[in-house]
Amino acid sequence: MAKISYDVLLVGGGVASLSAAHALVDAAIRENAPLRLAVLEKGKDFGAHVLSGAVSNPRSIKKLFPDYETNGFPLEGKCAESHVTLLGLKNAWDLPSFASPELNKVGYLILSLGDVCKWMASSLTQKAKDRASIVVDLFTGFGAQEIIYEEGRVVGVRVDSTGVAENDVCHAKVTVFGDKGFLSKDLVKKFNLAPNPQAWAVGVKEIWETERDYSGRVWHTMGFPLLGGNTGGGFIYGLKDKKLALGMAVGLDSENPALRPPQMLQDFKKHPLVQEMIRGGRIARYGAALIPEGGYYSLPTQFAVDGAVLIGDAAGVMDLKGFSGADKAMETGMLAGEVVFDAIRKGDFSTKTLGQLRHAVMGGWIGRELTSSRYYLQAFKANKELFSKHLPRVVKGLDGSGVAAGAAAAFLGDPFGLVGSAVKTKIMMAGTVDFGAVKRKEDRLHSKPDYKANPKEEPAGYAKNTVYSTADVVFYASTHYHHGNNHITEFDAAVCKRCIALYGGGGNDVPCAGDCTAEVHETRTKDGVKYHFMNLENCVQCRTCELVCPYENLRVNPAEHGSGPDFSSM
Amino acid sequence: MLKIVVFIKQVPDTGSKAGVNPDGTIDRARAKRMLNPFDKFALQKAVELKRGVGAFVTCVTMGPPPATEVLVEAFEHGADMGVLLTDKRLAASDTLATAYALHMVVRHLGDFDLILTGLQTTDGDTAQVGPQIAERLDVPQVTYCEALSISGNVLSARRVVEGGYQNLEARLPALVTVANSATPLEPKRFADVAAVKEFLRHPEEREKRIKTVSLDVIGANPAHAGLVGSPTVVGKTWKLGEIGGSCALFQGESVEREVEHLLAKLASDGHRITELVNG
Repeated sequence: MAKISYDVLLVGGGVASLSAAHALVDAAIRENAPLRLAVLEKGKDFGAHVLSGAVSNPRSIKKLFPDYETNGFPLEGKCAESHVTLLGLKNAWDLPSFASPELNKVGYLILSLGDVCKWMASSLTQKAKDRASIVVDLFTGFGAQEIIYEEGRVVGVRVDSTGVAENDVCHAKVTVFGDKGFLSKDLVKKFNLAPNPQAWAVGVKEIWETERDYSGRVWHTMGFPLLGGNTGGGFIYGLKDKKLALGMAVGLDSENPALRPPQMLQDFKKHPLVQEMIRGGRIARYGAALIPEGGYYSLPTQFAVDGAVLIGDAAGVMDLKGFSGADKAMETGMLAGEVVFDAIRKGDFSTKTLGQLRHAVMGGWIGRELTSSRYYLQAFKANKELFSKHLPRVVKGLDGSGVAAGAAAAFLGDPFGLVGSAVKTKIMMAGTVDFGAVKRKEDRLHSKPDYKANPKEEPAGYAKNTVYSTADVVFYASTHYHHGNNHITEFDAAVCKRCIALYGGGGNDVPCAGDCTAEVHETRTKDGVKYHFMNLENCVQCRTCELVCPYENLRVNPAEHGSGPDFSSM
Repeated sequence: MLKIVVFIKQVPDTGSKAGVNPDGTIDRARAKRMLNPFDKFALQKAVELKRGVGAFVTCVTMGPPPATEVLVEAFEHGADMGVLLTDKRLAASDTLATAYALHMVVRHLGDFDLILTGLQTTDGDTAQVGPQIAERLDVPQVTYCEALSISGNVLSARRVVEGGYQNLEARLPALVTVANSATPLEPKRFADVAAVKEFLRHPEEREKRIKTVSLDVIGANPAHAGLVGSPTVVGKTWKLGEIGGSCALFQGESVEREVEHLLAKLASDGHRITELVNG
């Protein structure tokens, strides 16, 4: 069997990879040069494992598809109304737009990123059709399982764990990682590219079919149900065809070992603001995904090594300020396309040539924005009191006699604390003052075995049939795995037993179970001994467990043979 | 080396609602398409034999030109050759006319050792075409076959019958319809899929591997094919109604409470609950 080999291999079929593929094919057409390119997508279809908000700045889409409004590019709508809303237990209060201009999304595109991926894949095929010198091979249902090195440089990936081993390697002159860390984390570690670890948040989301039409309307929320000091918030995006995307995102660097993201989303739906929208409707889908929110101080020192580059969420260019991820991911893909094409032309695939990518990214608008928002995440993390102490006070007042009373109560309770925290937060968000470099520790090191949660309060009077148990909601992720599937590795069962004893002793669940978005991890008892058990058939491939495991004892491998969740149209 | 012929069919995708005409017939042009799920078991048996004792696997399908898609899918799973029988005069064939046309394809292809077919299709659901082909070719047939092995020119097969199995032996060449309780189709292998993408790019190689034939090429009599060759008359189709039933959801509370509600509901509906098993 001949060696399977391409000029460029794109690992992961997300918007970053597909933008890179489009840019490469465009360049090959423009320069009339031959090109052999392959894309590996682990989902059964493009978009099947892609889950994102998404309300996006149209700049990158415009750049890659100037005629996007007429060429069939899948749009859910254009944002006509944008709210930033503070939620109490009973009431909701819209912040004036000057308070957070970065969250004013009017004019932005509302997208189903999965649909976008599907469209970009098929339009890529169309572009390359009838051009004998351009090869575009799209492999759906095949995930990269392991990076292959030769003499210290990346030469491709191992694709599958079935079949004959030597036939299952895909070689390439350049491997482009747009895989949100599934494999590229190994690259970052091996070449020591990240002085600061990535900070991750997990997002959970439901799609609802509603009675009323909310298309073009967008809400970002703070406050309930996140009143315990965790950083995060909710979002509600009105889609076309009377559909609604509802979700919550929460930082994984919490002291609480059991964030229970799906439960958080159920609680969010209990709020009167959401209740009014979903009453009489029905849930259509559920899913979860990670968000790299570290920004500037979590960027790798290089976006390339010999034979490989990192793009999109694998590089971590998502900007928490304004939740700008998809546009930046696409831009890094396009820039990578140019850099890689140049490398092919020169026949030089070393870090020296491919390393131009970081300069291209940081020298452009992505670099400018990430630099200006470099303290944005830190503004929340460094001023924990604002969220654990002052925000609940404001929210309580909001439920009582109004937001002014809430603010007054918070002010009277701790005037210097509140004003100090608020001012400091605002200054950090603006990014105009230099606070020096930010040092981070990994998310997994934050959870406390003896964490004591505050008693939970929740709104009254919600419709019971709009909220679900976690077990029920996971059903709507439509996961499917093959018999004998074993895609999460637990390295040492004894470590799990010790972890269970430690967290159990503190009256808590272990982080893998407590933060799981799909009821995969649980603690079971056999012959009086507690052990870690996984319901792998539920897994939505979000990788949260891997990141919160205090002992790095878990690894989520990419799903094989097109298995996993079905997030199409999410 | 064994020569195996597998009959496969492209059917409307059961997962998509699009493609049903207002009169209840299928709009095949509009419907999403897929490989008939029953045929996957036949394809698996062929691939198993190929990887085990060695075989040359030819997949045959009948349908409009887009049906080439299922041949490509079969290649990706390891088939060696594909034949598409396509002819406007085949439209509206019933099982008699289909079996006639398909058995003529086999005659046209020449010698064979084994024909594998699925149990039935998801669009016609007759389970008649396979056995009819065997009769027309005058070879032994094993229907509802779950497992098979070949030794010399003898086929040993386990056939599913009501309440048990029949173990049968037959002389090759023979025809086997594979039960849907047989081994499911293995996932595609990366190297196979890559190789298929490669050969599809080369027109001469493509023509060598995918043969498109018409009634004239296989020497079939058009009078026995299509609507004119089909004695079956579809008088009228109508919708019998929706499959009903009511569904009660218990949610939004603790599992214990939900179970209590469920039990109360079952009891009030007149069901007798005799035992609750713990754990």
